Amino acid sequence: MTELQALWAALVLYVLAGSLAIFGAVLRRQPERTVLILLVAGLALHTAAIVLRWERLGHGPVITMFEILSSNIWSLLLVYALAYWRIPAIRATAAVVMPILFVMMGWLLMTSPTEGHLPATYHTVWLYIHIGFGKVFLGAVLVAVGISGVVLLRGTGYGGKRFARLPDDSRLDELAYRFMALGLIFESLMLVAGAIWAQDAWGRYWAWDPLETWAFITWLTLAFALHLRFTLKIRPRTGAVMIVAVFVLAFLTFFGVPFISTAPHKGAV
Amino acid sequence: MNGFDGTEFMGQTVKPPDNPSVMGRGAPRDLRISRLQRALGALASLKLTLAILAALGGGTMVAYLSEARTTWALVLPLAAFSVNLAAAVATNPVFRRQTALLMFHLALIAIVLLIAVGRLTYLKGQLELAQGQVFDGQLTQEESGPWHPRRLDAVRFSNQGFTIGYAKGMRRAATRNQVAWTAPDGRPRQAVIGDQDPLILEGYRFYTNFNKGFAPVFVWRPRSGASPQLGAVHLPAYPLHEYRQAQEWQPPGSRSPLWIMLRFDEVILDPEKSSEFRLPTEHRLVVRAGEARRELKPGDAMHLAEGVLVYQGLRSWMGYTVFYDFTLPWLLAACILAVASLAWHFWRKFSARPWNPPVS
Ligand code: HEM
Repeated sequence: MTELQALWAALVLYVLAGSLAIFGAVLRRQPERTVLILLVAGLALHTAAIVLRWERLGHGPVITMFEILSSNIWSLLLVYALAYWRIPAIRATAAVVMPILFVMMGWLLMTSPTEGHLPATYHTVWLYIHIGFGKVFLGAVLVAVGISGVVLLRGTGYGGKRFARLPDDSRLDELAYRFMALGLIFESLMLVAGAIWAQDAWGRYWAWDPLETWAFITWLTLAFALHLRFTLKIRPRTGAVMIVAVFVLAFLTFFGVPFISTAPHKGAV
Repeated sequence: MNGFDGTEFMGQTVKPPDNPSVMGRGAPRDLRISRLQRALGALASLKLTLAILAALGGGTMVAYLSEARTTWALVLPLAAFSVNLAAAVATNPVFRRQTALLMFHLALIAIVLLIAVGRLTYLKGQLELAQGQVFDGQLTQEESGPWHPRRLDAVRFSNQGFTIGYAKGMRRAATRNQVAWTAPDGRPRQAVIGDQDPLILEGYRFYTNFNKGFAPVFVWRPRSGASPQLGAVHLPAYPLHEYRQAQEWQPPGSRSPLWIMLRFDEVILDPEKSSEFRLPTEHRLVVRAGEARRELKPGDAMHLAEGVLVYQGLRSWMGYTVFYDFTLPWLLAACILAVASLAWHFWRKFSARPWNPPVS
């Protein structure tokens, strides 16, 4: 099986898992085991696709938009599948999380899988450390977004009954903010590792280039959300909106800024 | 305790005075202290923290989007940040109960202060050295903080030549530059540095950069009888200015500029295959002085009105970026402390209580 065939097969399995989760929520059924098996099988094929490409090109999936999207879909799903497996109470959040990943998969299908050139500054272990931390950060925020999505949907007439079986809003809010706390730790690690790398690569640890600026704004927004929550005792629904805001900023930082930036710091993680 | 509102101090509640008019200059000591406490409490307000975090975000956007000098947009919120945080650390009892949280916030203050000190004392500059040339403290471009302790004059190292591979499509790979210097113990030292591996001397970090090219070297013997001088003319960067390998140059002490151009026919960096930066095997050096024009080979001399120019041969030159910021290791330590205490804080907090306790 070639690298691309493995990838397309993985995407098919993800779409099946996601569709099943969405139908499950709509029809109030819980095909949880099947969803988990499909996700794990998809991840296995996806891992094979990434490994094959890594072997062929001699570097990780970190250069082209195709590689960046593919590796982020992989890492987001890995983190989400772990949360899905370990915390059965929130499995219904898959109906919120999978559509977000569908958008990324659609985008992946539209990008060209041609190879890029690994810049000289990428020959360092910091590349993988920095990117690895970033992936855990985004994965943690994605799980929080899934939970927040449920809280927000419940506020509408539509979601009220369909997500009735999950724990109540204040507990979901607590769990979502635990994932945001994890996100804060890993985003801080990502920023520090990035600064160490930038010092070596460009002779400065921080220069407010577009990617750095947007990552910092995301970090501040996350700090703001945590403080807002204990200072003003906001309701779970407001907390959920803040989590979605952090995710949107993080998403734009990872996948939007590299398109408009002309700075050498191209690498969308 | 959640939501500190400025009325709690060191764990004890401070009651507002019954009669505010007694708070004048002659107010009893404990009342004056309580006024100080209230002022500190207001500075430590967590609602203020929210406003400051928002202002810092706004300031970052202003600095990012505007072309003008916008240091204030970051410095003002960061100053407010430090005052607010310091006041909270001093007065908010949460920090006395939760050591990890305290350590995290103290590390945040340390990071802000270290960055401020770093900006006041940093230096960033550029320099170029021909092969064999010794750095003499001179930079071609520089910017620095007002308190930079200028110690560059004490730094000496020489460029011993470099190699740079290019992949197909003229993609630059790693630069390996051999440098030599004398260690403080008097022993000669050598190292290979690159774009990502600096030479660190006296706290200055020297990195190679993408700038490099060819440098014809001359001996200039002035007719005035002054002693002969060696001069390396750095032609525009190669391959960036591949078709503009010419430069005006004024020999030391002379009044008339010379125009120098390097010509060669061979392909040095081939976009079709991988290659390596090197000097051309054969070249001509065209020198123009007013109306006079000569093509020189190594060893040739050109007699001019103000002296004799002897062409020694072609070498390469390398561009360097130099960076000084003594706060770097401290900043890294503060960052590691911040992240570790943040992780410790959340670990303790979350392991103490499940997120979904069973209803009893
Ligand atoms: C002006 C600056 C700041 C002040 C005065 C401040 C003050 C405080 C205080 C008093 C608490 C304890 C609240 C409680 O448990 O009741 C706290 C918690 C916290 N702060 Fe800050 N803080 C500041 C800036 C920041 C920043 C920039 C971050 C960056 C991420 C941050 C992250 C946190 C975190 C993670 C917690 C713990 C939240 C939790 O346990 O759920 N703080 N802060």
